[in-house]
Amino acid sequence: MHLRRSALTAAAAASLLALTACGGGSSDTGDAPEPVESASFEAGTTMAELSQAGAITIGTKFDQPGFGLRGLGDTPEGFDVEVGKGIAAQLGLSEDQITWVEAPSSQREDLITQGSVDMVIATYTINDTRKERITFAGPYYVAGQQIMVGEAEDRLTGPDDLRANPDLKICSVNGSTPSENIREYLASPDQLVLFEVYDDCVTAMKNGQVQAMTTDNVILTGYVAENEGEFKLVGEQFTEEPYGIGITKGDTAFCEFVNGALQTMSEDGSYEEAWTSTAGEYEGTEVPTLPTADACV
Amino acid sequence: MDPVLENLDLFWGGFVRSLGIVLWAFAGSMVLGTALAVCRVSPVPVLRAVGTGYVAVVRNTPLTVVLFLFAFGIPALQVNASFYVFGVAGLVVYTAAFVCEAIRSGINAVAPGQAEAARAIGLTFGQTLTQVVLPQAVRTVVPPLGNVQIAMVKNSAVVGAFGVGGELFSVATRLTSAQGEPRLPVYLGVAAFFLLITLPAGALLARTEQRLAVAR
Amino acid sequence: MGTTAAEQPLVVARGVVKRFGDHAALKGVDLTVHRGEVVVVIGPSGSGKSTLCRTLNRLETVDGGTIEIDGQPLPAEGRELARLRADVGMVFQSFNLFAHKTVLENVTLGPVKVRRQPRAKAEQRARELLDRVGVGSQAEKLPAQLSGGQQQRVAIARALAMDPKVMLFDEPTSALDPEMINEVLDVMTGLAKDGMTMVVVTHEMGFARRAADRVVFMADGEVAEVAEPEAFFTAPSSRRAQDFLSKLLTH
Repeated sequence: MHLRRSALTAAAAASLLALTACGGGSSDTGDAPEPVESASFEAGTTMAELSQAGAITIGTKFDQPGFGLRGLGDTPEGFDVEVGKGIAAQLGLSEDQITWVEAPSSQREDLITQGSVDMVIATYTINDTRKERITFAGPYYVAGQQIMVGEAEDRLTGPDDLRANPDLKICSVNGSTPSENIREYLASPDQLVLFEVYDDCVTAMKNGQVQAMTTDNVILTGYVAENEGEFKLVGEQFTEEPYGIGITKGDTAFCEFVNGALQTMSEDGSYEEAWTSTAGEYEGTEVPTLPTADACV
Repeated sequence: MDPVLENLDLFWGGFVRSLGIVLWAFAGSMVLGTALAVCRVSPVPVLRAVGTGYVAVVRNTPLTVVLFLFAFGIPALQVNASFYVFGVAGLVVYTAAFVCEAIRSGINAVAPGQAEAARAIGLTFGQTLTQVVLPQAVRTVVPPLGNVQIAMVKNSAVVGAFGVGGELFSVATRLTSAQGEPRLPVYLGVAAFFLLITLPAGALLARTEQRLAVAR
Repeated sequence: MGTTAAEQPLVVARGVVKRFGDHAALKGVDLTVHRGEVVVVIGPSGSGKSTLCRTLNRLETVDGGTIEIDGQPLPAEGRELARLRADVGMVFQSFNLFAHKTVLENVTLGPVKVRRQPRAKAEQRARELLDRVGVGSQAEKLPAQLSGGQQQRVAIARALAMDPKVMLFDEPTSALDPEMINEVLDVMTGLAKDGMTMVVVTHEMGFARRAADRVVFMADGEVAEVAEPEAFFTAPSSRRAQDFLSKLLTH
């Protein structure tokens, strides 16, 4: 899976145009971003390598409704996936030149450091611990953590009510950033119930085994919409979770290219299109504007 | 091994939690498994059927399914308890099927004449088992039982996925996912802490086998 | 019944049927044993004599017929049956001493656990019985350290310790080396002389002749002949008994 290749020669660069043109022509998906026909990059950069190889491997979630969810088909669907397609297009790569790899939360850094993927777009919150091992491009979206409760629950109106109601249990996914953020609000560690996937939290809520669940608001909005009349969101967003795109640590040129690609998507409307066709379909969500990119370091 | 050394307090907390789960599951599965084995060799047809049915169903069901049924199935019947209790109960129910079979094979290894002689002097079924058959079965039962219980210790890593937080495996997931620690050293750390349970258990087992051998 | 307890037979089997799959081991066997009587059951291998012996304390269940011990029908599995078995001593072909217990513990287990006797009293009585069968010096040993003849005598002491109303012997000398057979038969003869009610399944014709009050000859799952030993061995009335005895004599 490792995609590192030797530096491009000038001759190879010349043949690149023909190659990407062929790749673009074979794409038959109507609403996919059209690959840029005249992609050309400085020799030796990651962009040049990917572009010349005519292939890119992207890690994303396979179980995150709205962002990266693989249903019965072969490829996942969601906002992260659309962003990935947009960036690939600007490398001159068509949709079928992308290989999607599942990137569960616990494996994201390892996938990047081992070179198994070229980038990870997987509801991947930018934070300092993670930056020790990888570099983030973006952010391309800022999520915020919120709390979801049963429709009839009135004891919880925000995270601060947890300590006053130690018998209430709140659910999240083990190892997720929201599950770490909520710890400071708890009366005791036992108040927090953790599973591998959010679906288990929803089941536990329906069984009355937990009374609340917390994660990024877009995910919760999806569950509120899917289970009409059963759940509601309470309180304001109490964190900011900037989602970044994980790449090899120190690849500043690639980071800047991705930021530029995101900016282009924002300007030509494909960013908004990506949102409204995926996570934006859930009721109660707003079309985001592309956040200002962090400096690439 | 920096990720382990830097988070030793988290690992230790996970170890203590895992040890608790394992000890409860050991005690519970030994009691339930022995009771099931007694059912399986009992002269009462209904009890035999219960024991046989239990083993056939539970032993052939994946552990994750058993744990799922406890964590989400039983609460759907309006019976509620903490996920910790459900997790341990699932582990007990699953392991008991294997304990039952290990003990039953030990009972079957005792010559049938022993039980006949016991019955012939008027011992009841229970006395026959406790006075004559089980003491002789112990020696053959210890090695397979040890295997069953060591497998249980390792199986206990699965309960983390069913809401039983804080044990070793959940700690590992927390470190690798939320804090972005590399997985290899973290899971080596998990392995090391599991060995801290299984190696002494194995040594205890070997000593028990030796003592029983001498006692004959 | 109109009979007093003393006249009432101790063991009564009527029409006992036992099948193992398609094979009928017992095809309607009747047997009556009176108090103080020694009944020796003989017959060729496969005649069902061992099976009959084992049905008398329900180590084998029966498929038909009834068995009464001291006027009581054999209860089904459970405490009642255990109580009844305590009154019926049994000695097996393969001794079946409890392998993990000493000789003394083998003999005291029943009295302590079933008869609820104090341990000291049970041990005193056990030592008397072990002396009586001639293995008193072996009390602290494990069964595996004893010869076959010694083990079988311990097994007899174990049965006697329960003060049984009747003793069943299921081929008690068949697993013994020839030189050990007599030490066991001597103990049994002594018991018979002391008035113990006994049912003995055996191939030892000498013992049958010497100790039996009655001989029951079985063949093919049926009782072919019942007679006093002298009459049976000198002038058997059934054809099958004649065949059986003639084969023995030619050896």
